[in-house]
Amino acid sequence: MIQVEHLTKKFGRIVAVDDISFRIKKGEIIGFLGPNGAGKSTTMNILTGCISASEGKALINGIDILEEPAKVKKMIGYLPENPPLYGEMTAKEFLHTVCDLKNIPKPVRKDEINRVMKRVGIVDVSGRLIRNLSKGYKQRVGLAQAMIGKPPIMILDEPTVGLDPGQIIGIRNLINDLGRDHTVILSSHILSEVQAVCERVMIIAKGKIIASDTPENLSQHLFGSNRLFVSVAAETAAVEKTVKSIPDIIEYQIEEGEEIGAVSVKMKAAENTDIRKAVFSAFAAANQPLLMMRPIDMSLEEIFLDLTSAEVEL
Amino acid sequence: MIAVYKKELKSYFYTPGAYIFMGAFLLIAGLLFSLQNVFAGDSNYAGFLSSLIFIFLLVVPILTMKLFTEEKRQKTDILLLSSPVSIIGIVLGKYLAAVTVFAATLLITMLYPLFLSFHGRMDWAQIWGTYIGFFFLGSAFIAIGTFLSEVAESQTSAAILTFCGLLASWIIDYIISFVPTSSMAGAIFILILAGAAIAVFQSKAQDWRISAAAAVIAIAAVCILYIVTPDMLYGLISKFIAWFSLTSRFQRFSMGILKLDAVIYYLSFSAFFLYVTGSRIENRRWS
Repeated sequence: MIQVEHLTKKFGRIVAVDDISFRIKKGEIIGFLGPNGAGKSTTMNILTGCISASEGKALINGIDILEEPAKVKKMIGYLPENPPLYGEMTAKEFLHTVCDLKNIPKPVRKDEINRVMKRVGIVDVSGRLIRNLSKGYKQRVGLAQAMIGKPPIMILDEPTVGLDPGQIIGIRNLINDLGRDHTVILSSHILSEVQAVCERVMIIAKGKIIASDTPENLSQHLFGSNRLFVSVAAETAAVEKTVKSIPDIIEYQIEEGEEIGAVSVKMKAAENTDIRKAVFSAFAAANQPLLMMRPIDMSLEEIFLDLTSAEVEL
Repeated sequence: MIAVYKKELKSYFYTPGAYIFMGAFLLIAGLLFSLQNVFAGDSNYAGFLSSLIFIFLLVVPILTMKLFTEEKRQKTDILLLSSPVSIIGIVLGKYLAAVTVFAATLLITMLYPLFLSFHGRMDWAQIWGTYIGFFFLGSAFIAIGTFLSEVAESQTSAAILTFCGLLASWIIDYIISFVPTSSMAGAIFILILAGAAIAVFQSKAQDWRISAAAAVIAIAAVCILYIVTPDMLYGLISKFIAWFSLTSRFQRFSMGILKLDAVIYYLSFSAFFLYVTGSRIENRRWS
């Protein structure tokens, strides 16, 4: 569906997107994840034909965006970082204008606008000037704009920025919903969001894709269940002694626990080693009761920081 | 293009833009008409229209300043660029919307000669001629304004730039009588123009050999021209500047003469500025 090959974009001397290639299948929900200025928006702007790439090409359904921009643009609904809204129009008028721009035939226009307004939940405010709407509603009008004409591909740049938690959940559900009949690309620098919505995550930093996988695989593959958190009812010094006696542990960190008389320990073993049994027996042998033991799942947040900061060190 | 045109026309009337333009223009025009024609009992309407040019020059910036600057500020240019509309379509749609508001205003002023015709005999050919001339002149002004609105970052700077640009085109007629007319001056002028063109080429292509060759050829050509036919270089500067004089071509219209070359001049002048506007937007996508 979407095929990007060796895409590079330079702004003067700054390389915003550096030789990235990827493919997106029909019906996937893809998340672009990266810190601010990583090149997410630039990539999206190239895919939507707003700016041109310096090198490489982007094919949408096999059509090059540079060669037949009008055809490709019809297939894409785009919600940029700042929703492009005409403040002096009402939401409904604005959507009419968008229909004009997208060449939606007159007879189906009214139904199309009603369908989209219902789906994003802006029917109540459709007669109000966009200028006077709250940020959440503006975002939704922006989303409605992208949905007009049922484009098979939706590209959403930070769709939940500036929304309150309730609205964020609403938009997430909507995106999940859209994923059923659209290919969705969304970007975010908030990891939990990508984790909640996307089937595949591409982590972008400094214009390069540094990882691409499902959120689950990213957390498991890369880091496994080799990290444990335990809470022990014993003295700190004694616990440290026990921990040291366990082979395979590379790293550990002991802290005063939250419970009185308990110590909490975070430990890390070599990759692909399961230390749970060894930990249990060691503490049992030392007669130090384990109050709690759980694996530390590395959140996307940590993976992200890890990957991106590793990049910085290079 | 039609979508952009409709959208732009809507936003003219949803925001104070069109009302300020029409209000300011019609107020001053009405005042002038009352003083010059009604109270003075003068039926020379074409003369009144010609004097309107200066007022029009003042209000055109109001009409054009927001065309592109407002899109940039609201970040709505992305909406236009990502929708299946060509860049020329965007520019043309916006330009035609501004021209439409202008034409509607002009249409209202047609009430004035109608009013005069009840009281005296009117030279209709002259009035129609002046109106047509005024329309084309105004369209050319609006093209300049459209271009400068794309160049400027804010509405204010667009308005000031447009005003200065139009004022410059208006005083060109006065400047012409002061520029040197000798053949020597013409030769030097060509050399300066050639030098500028070569400098632009050099900065883009970075090729010294071609630039140097072009410079030698230019100097040789000018020397030959100067020696063989110095008459050709006579008054060259004023001829060159006169190309940019929008108002001088208007004079013939107000005499009731409809000349095709003037119409084509105005149309191509507008087309040139719209083309440059479009290619600037296109360039911005690439850089």
